Amino acid sequence: MRDTVTAYLFLSPSALVIGVFGIFPVFFTLYVSVYRWRLSKGAFSGFDNYAKLFGGNVLILLAVLASVAGVVLAVVLMRHRTADHPRLRVGAGMTLLACSIAGLILALPLLASGGDKDVYDALRVTIWYSICTVPIQLAGGILVAVLLTASVKGRQAFRVIYLTPYIAPTVATAAIFELLFSLRPDSFANQFLKIFGVGPLQWLQEPKGIMPLLFGTSAQLPTSVIPSYWAEWGQGPSLALTAIIFYSWWVFVGYYALIYLNGLSAIPRQLYEAAEVDGASKVRSFFSITLPLLSPTTYFLSLLGVIGTFKAFTHLFVLRSTAASGTVDSISVSIFFTAFRKGNMGYAAAVSILLFVIVLGLTLVQQRTTERGVTYGD
Amino acid sequence: MEIEARRHVPPRKKLTGGTILVYALLVVGATVCIVPFLYMLATSLKTVGETITRVDPLPWRADFWPAVPQWKNYLSSWRDANFSLYFRNSVLTALITVAGLIVTSSLAAYAFAKIRFAGSRVMFAIFVATLIIPDSVYLIPNFITITKFGWYDTLAGLTVPFMASAFFIFLLRQFFAQLPNELLESARMDGAGHIRSFASIVMPLSGAPLFTVAFLAFIGSWNSLQWPLVATRTERWRPLTVGLTTFMTEAGPQNQLRMAGAMIAVLPVVILFFFAQKQFTEAIARSGIKG
Repeated sequence: MRDTVTAYLFLSPSALVIGVFGIFPVFFTLYVSVYRWRLSKGAFSGFDNYAKLFGGNVLILLAVLASVAGVVLAVVLMRHRTADHPRLRVGAGMTLLACSIAGLILALPLLASGGDKDVYDALRVTIWYSICTVPIQLAGGILVAVLLTASVKGRQAFRVIYLTPYIAPTVATAAIFELLFSLRPDSFANQFLKIFGVGPLQWLQEPKGIMPLLFGTSAQLPTSVIPSYWAEWGQGPSLALTAIIFYSWWVFVGYYALIYLNGLSAIPRQLYEAAEVDGASKVRSFFSITLPLLSPTTYFLSLLGVIGTFKAFTHLFVLRSTAASGTVDSISVSIFFTAFRKGNMGYAAAVSILLFVIVLGLTLVQQRTTERGVTYGD
Repeated sequence: MEIEARRHVPPRKKLTGGTILVYALLVVGATVCIVPFLYMLATSLKTVGETITRVDPLPWRADFWPAVPQWKNYLSSWRDANFSLYFRNSVLTALITVAGLIVTSSLAAYAFAKIRFAGSRVMFAIFVATLIIPDSVYLIPNFITITKFGWYDTLAGLTVPFMASAFFIFLLRQFFAQLPNELLESARMDGAGHIRSFASIVMPLSGAPLFTVAFLAFIGSWNSLQWPLVATRTERWRPLTVGLTTFMTEAGPQNQLRMAGAMIAVLPVVILFFFAQKQFTEAIARSGIKG
């Protein structure tokens, strides 16, 4: 009993801070989101902010939610192949997945066209940013970690160099990249392209997608709702966002490598020796020993990375340009501008609730789906 | 945990094709890491004209660098951007945040690791649950809260909201839990309460993890931009990050001044990193370990 009192005494300082600034805000955001809140509290507005976000048609929203739930359910069904009736499960899973994806293809454009286009653009930016950064950073991190363990001399020096972009203050390094990838013909990136006889490009000021830029396909969008929505996806990330993606690689590969080095050091050497005795090549042991035993690290880093892209702010804030803003503003940047530049806090609160739900969903799904695939090496 | 990979090192490594490839790849990667920093250094020492004319992208060529280094760029940048004030603000904000954070987190971590009490699991679960909440969700309510407290544009508004963190509590708890219980029990036999065992046994034994927390929290505070943008209105307590972004806009096309400003922000951190590389890398690696 006395212990309990002592324990809560020990907890009280952090509980107070986390309570006021970490838990209460979630409920407070919900509260703000049902008001017209422009810097100060206005009239109660019920679900108006959400109606602006999702459009007036509840059926479309339900269709999207059902499709998302369908995808999740299908994945869960198919991952449990070891259970009874594996064939039936896979069959049902495939059917459900196909239906759900078809549902998404039809319903998502309708939701986006009825609701706030800016928010859906911001979500698309965030998703492209996620897709183009996390997998590359994982692969780059593993590669650098393996190279570092293979090298003998200068390992520490390399490690320091690879980590420097991560250590240096983000505002400053982003400012460097703003200069490197500026639209001027004398900028670093354009001078570099000149060596190969290409360019100059507009880089951070270029809102055009990389697909039309690379393949010269038409940037003309079809007019009807559903095809035009998916055609926008088909443009790929804008060139401006691509420059920001390069920045992300530059910053995070060294960090991922460091974490992977940690994982590598935990793999028992005997495994490699045994593989060598069995005549396995280095490449073979990489794919059959290293990669599977690193899966806890990969799991951890991918979770961290995806959630990180949804939270990313500083470098996006520094690297955004007015010319390309709609194609580089991720969801968190968009919330910031809606709340503190346009002063529309009630609506921004509603958008941040959407962000919260997405991040929560991602965390749960990632936990459910990866848990079984992860090998915990001892 | 040791991050040095404990791989066997053959006594004499012959210069095979494989080794050459490994080093070649590592050198290419290292060059990519360094060139932006060199570009910053070179640009910061150029004249305005040279930022347009001497723009060779390859650092081993003369035209990458200025003809005569213009050290005075640093002076004008330092003065124009009011860096003295911003530096002081950043240091103060970071130190106060870290001090508060260390106290609250270690106390809570001790309670979770070493005291059996009713509701321990529930409390821990609630704490950890806050980890998945994105910062953007905090932004608006916390802005309203600090305004109500009268903390808008004050040091308290910049520091207090970050004086506790479930992440660091989690990190420290992992470490505290590894300390043998016998140590504490024998102290209790001698009549020491939890406060005594916390202060005189657990804390002195936890130098490395406490350094990790202090270091990561310091970097986090030093680099933060979003919250200071929201929580400050005047220069009074604005940190370096906000000062630098403002300066970047004001300096406009004067790229040499902007890069001198960036240099001023990068240099202290990087120098510190070079001197304490082992502690730094270990601290960062430790943050990546999950329980």
